[in-house]
Amino acid sequence: MNTDREKQPHAGCTIGTDGRITFDLPPGAPEGQQLLLRLRPKKGQPEKTVHVLDLEPAGERRSAVLDARAVLTEGRWDVYLLREPGSERQRLRAGLRDLRALVGGHLRRWPAPLAVRTPYVTKDGHLAVRAWLRTAHAEADGIDVTGRSMTVRACLHGASLQEGAVVSLRLRGAGATVRTVEPCAGDDGRSLSFTVDYAELAAGTPPGSGVWDISVRPAAQAPLIRVGRLLDDLADRKDVVVYPTADFGGVALRPYYTVDNDLSIEVKGQP
Amino acid sequence: MKISFLIHSAYAIGGTITTTFNLARALAARHEVEIVSVLRNREHPMLSLDPRVSLRSLVDLRQEKEHPSHLRPARVFPRAEYRYREYSELTDRRIGEWLAATDADVVIGTRPGLNVHLALQAPRHVARIGQEHLTLDRHPPRLRSALRRAYRRLDTLTTVTEADAAAYRRKMHMPGVRVEALPNSVPDPVLPPSDGTAKVIVAAGRLVPVKRYDLLIEAFALIAADCPDWQLRIYGKGEEHDRLRRLVTDLGLYDRVLLMGAVTLMEAEWVKGSIAVAASDSEAFGMTIVEAMSCGLPVVSTDCPHGPGEIIEDGVDGRLVPVGDRDALGAALREAVRDDEWRLRAGRAARKNARRFAPGPVVTQAERLLAEAVSARRADRPVLRERPRVSRVLAGQGFAIRDTAHSAAGGVLRVLRRRG
Repeated sequence: MNTDREKQPHAGCTIGTDGRITFDLPPGAPEGQQLLLRLRPKKGQPEKTVHVLDLEPAGERRSAVLDARAVLTEGRWDVYLLREPGSERQRLRAGLRDLRALVGGHLRRWPAPLAVRTPYVTKDGHLAVRAWLRTAHAEADGIDVTGRSMTVRACLHGASLQEGAVVSLRLRGAGATVRTVEPCAGDDGRSLSFTVDYAELAAGTPPGSGVWDISVRPAAQAPLIRVGRLLDDLADRKDVVVYPTADFGGVALRPYYTVDNDLSIEVKGQP
Repeated sequence: MKISFLIHSAYAIGGTITTTFNLARALAARHEVEIVSVLRNREHPMLSLDPRVSLRSLVDLRQEKEHPSHLRPARVFPRAEYRYREYSELTDRRIGEWLAATDADVVIGTRPGLNVHLALQAPRHVARIGQEHLTLDRHPPRLRSALRRAYRRLDTLTTVTEADAAAYRRKMHMPGVRVEALPNSVPDPVLPPSDGTAKVIVAAGRLVPVKRYDLLIEAFALIAADCPDWQLRIYGKGEEHDRLRRLVTDLGLYDRVLLMGAVTLMEAEWVKGSIAVAASDSEAFGMTIVEAMSCGLPVVSTDCPHGPGEIIEDGVDGRLVPVGDRDALGAALREAVRDDEWRLRAGRAARKNARRFAPGPVVTQAERLLAEAVSARRADRPVLRERPRVSRVLAGQGFAIRDTAHSAAGGVLRVLRRRG
């Protein structure tokens, strides 16, 4: 039984610590001169951004390099094989992705702007690249959750903490309610921790439920920096790192990583 | 040779599927190979199959789940088999029909119930190889009795460990049948090995009670404070998932123990780690142990029956600790984390020692076993010819027993033929 899917070519890839990605087509893959990466458009929207990479022979295999300097807009990029320039494209299935260079990425210091790329496998088995592009970033190193509060340890990349720094919790939706928390700054000007009190947050959430997105304002008047966990090999951590839910007088509170690996707090139920 | 594998399902993830796909791929270089999946529940296999290997299924659950015959219990597939509930009158019939019509020279069964089908229903000219990926000592007595009757009608029975082969020779009377350990083969790794520096411990397997991920998580909890920055990643899915998630939460290890879900290409995940770990109470073979070793990871494992002890050399390429002993498992992990020099050295040894499970030697052995069974069938004689004096006695017993088995099966076969 040979189905279309089995005929679809596979591509593996290797990423370096600098973000350079080498795509690799095994021997026997269909003819093709180029790889095409395209930013997956929102439903119903036309495709806008593509990158085309030349395939070079490497022994019996062929490879194409996405240079560390090539800027990928934040989003999900699908990978295709082009038989020849301008020809019809063929989606690539995911082969081996050597992402070991990304493990422990949070221990390195990232320059601004942060361009983070994580090759991943889509739910249906295709190769894609998750990209984040941020002027600055607050990497969540860990969270301690108690029944009454949560304490987040984080580290700034591409910014440093100044006088007047605050942590901002913004309620999603119209009205944009914002609460602030004082961070506790480390000596290095980059590391910080902050505690969110569940009782206050539950009281501050309108009846029903809400989601609070967490950011850091590193100095008075400075732009907000979203807190998240981007600097390792996990493209989707929502179901991998799951924090406990605290039940607070009939209200359930739970920090979680969003589909974009940003940190938010979900509040559910009537206070 | 035309070689057919008969497998429960080729559409999931697990050791039997992986090793069957690996062996099929290696045999396809010189033979015509097909995999026959009794059940099918999705369009494509989860694991990738060599395009030279053909794949077919007998019962497609997407359309036939409610088939009247599928709602009636199986009669050929033994009742005491672990997966009995997934089999039915329909699977009995489809497997029987497929076997009756097969043009394969040799059919390889991949689990006890399918080996029974093979023993009872394969045409006379087709060589019958039963593979046991589980272990005799773990089979319930009723299953052992069913197998004792049926397995005499196989040509060859392969186990995955020497210990299990010895158990079959000692406890099952199977005159004329060759019993031999054929270890699972693991393909040669493609990626460079782990450099042993990442602070990641990796485990992989179905999330089922026998794998004892609960014990592993508790053992990791013992060392979490002394081994800052180290992470435990558990790959796989299964019925234990929610319980393990609660355990991770209760121990406050949500940032340190990651339940990664099922992954089809584990090689890329092993090389992200520096230590592999297995906490099973029982492990028929331990494919993941060999996979991890071939990627350059030393493996800390329980010394459970039967696989790990035949794969790992304690202290050299990994560690063997007593079964169910959380403290011992934690202590061995702590030493592996702390002793960088040992970890790197053991990782190199692991990579080297895993080579005996490379497809090359295993496939050569498999080809020899298959060719031997096929030529015995062609000559209409048993694979193993006993010494003359003994053979008269054994042969007599063998026939008597064969008749018994046949009459037991005869009723079923008659029923099947009527339904045709």
